[in-house]
Amino acid sequence: MSARTRVREKLQLNVALATQALVAFIKDAVETTGTTGVVLGLSGGVDSALAAALAVPALGPERVHAFLLPHSNSSPDAVTDAEAVAAALGLATQNIDISPMVDIYFERYDSDADKVRLGNKMARERMSILYDQAKKLGALVLGTSNKSEILLGYSTIFGDNASSINPLGDLYKQQVWQLAAHLELPEQVVKKRPSADLWPGQTDEQELGFDYAVADEVLYLMFNFGLSEEEVIDLDYPADVVRRIVTLEENNRFKRRLMLIARLSDSAINLDREIPRD
Amino acid sequence: MATHLTVGLAQIDCRLGAVEANLERHLDWIARARERQVELLLFPELSLTGYRLLHLTSRVAIRLDRSKVVDRLMAAAGDMSVVVGLVEEGQEGFLYNSAVLLHQGEILHVHRKLYLPTYGIFQEGRFFGQGERLDLAPIDGQALGLLICEDLWHPHLARRLALAGGKLLAVLSAGPGRIGSGETLESQDTWECLTRSTALVNTCWLVYCNRVGWEEGSFYAGASHIVRPDGQIVMRASTFEEDLLVARLDLREVDRVRWRVPLLQTHRRDIEGLK
Repeated sequence: MSARTRVREKLQLNVALATQALVAFIKDAVETTGTTGVVLGLSGGVDSALAAALAVPALGPERVHAFLLPHSNSSPDAVTDAEAVAAALGLATQNIDISPMVDIYFERYDSDADKVRLGNKMARERMSILYDQAKKLGALVLGTSNKSEILLGYSTIFGDNASSINPLGDLYKQQVWQLAAHLELPEQVVKKRPSADLWPGQTDEQELGFDYAVADEVLYLMFNFGLSEEEVIDLDYPADVVRRIVTLEENNRFKRRLMLIARLSDSAINLDREIPRD
Repeated sequence: MATHLTVGLAQIDCRLGAVEANLERHLDWIARARERQVELLLFPELSLTGYRLLHLTSRVAIRLDRSKVVDRLMAAAGDMSVVVGLVEEGQEGFLYNSAVLLHQGEILHVHRKLYLPTYGIFQEGRFFGQGERLDLAPIDGQALGLLICEDLWHPHLARRLALAGGKLLAVLSAGPGRIGSGETLESQDTWECLTRSTALVNTCWLVYCNRVGWEEGSFYAGASHIVRPDGQIVMRASTFEEDLLVARLDLREVDRVRWRVPLLQTHRRDIEGLK
């Protein structure tokens, strides 16, 4: 058996066990914090669909508050696919158009911002609304970032990567797909090419320059098993892709270690004092 | 000397840092075990305090000689032997990850965890002192070997307990769960490989009591189980749920297996060369 075949097998998740564990995680987090439920944004993509599908059996649909937060640049599919997910899960949705809030900032103060900045602003606007709704409802913000995009830094810091709890953060993208298929989420959502939908026609894989299938395997070998860049290339992964993944991973570490506090005392938060939150 | 022992494994969830709430849960499970005539009841590692305490460790530490929590547990235990896991503050003020055997209003035995994992998710070496003694615990004329989680990964400890006459090894654990592609949890497969081989090579009963529940983003996998002296698993608790596993162990089975397979009698300490 080739090394790559073995890696692919290792990335196959026992979806029944994983579902059971992650449903329990959400239930426990809401109970432990004494909150009323969760809020999340449904983007029409597979990650938020899966997060919602795990929250519903944990809490019941009435305690899962789903928001559709489109921008006028969003693809029309985003809303219809998000609605299909909500319908499949029996969720009521609230639709909040973020165009006015996002657009007025750029129109008034910085009209020549590039599309990355526009995309980041949209992600942070959604975060801002979700946290506000969470405050209003006494609920937690349910995260939807998966392990692949966290490691690659393919996210907006304090935007889509912000959450109270994240059930997907230890799942590689293809494991997200496995669970989504297991939970019988709408086919058009499971099958569609992943996209942050920050500008028309955007897809993750086109922007990253490689497929998640390869990225997941490379990340698995390096992050789970501690293989070096050269050892991974020796297993017949394309050298340019491996190098690009390594660079992305290294350059984006700042996004996953939030709050770098300058330590002056012997009681710096998180460095000297690690206090559990549970 | 009794030939049988009814053992109970209380596979519970624990609230991190909430000793009072955990105490109530212990009292509840002791009552359930009493209904089922349990003689020796085990709770998981750090069952009174929760596991991932980090800098809260000292705040939930218990001085065994002046603890109302221990007094209440002892009163509830009565003539049942009960083993609980807690943060022990020693006489000198150091903290230990300890298993404490309570019986008839007395503390009969304290095992301080000998190997403190400090790698990956584990940080015990930063917050606990290492135990320094290994002894058998007395229960009703029988010799019980108590170990905590990582201790079992260092096989000389189980060997020494068996060589000293231990017929039953009890392992308290807070083993984090891992899910891979297999039918069962990866973490469960690993533990069962270890518990079964330990029972097999030491020809003794082995009971493994793990906890369940989520804590600080990690879950505990349950699947507490009982292994016969020939290495076969005779009973297993559920994977994610709280559970009480009760079995009546025939301790003479140890003698029978040791008569057939005298591994302990032929153990050698006099082989020269590598230390």
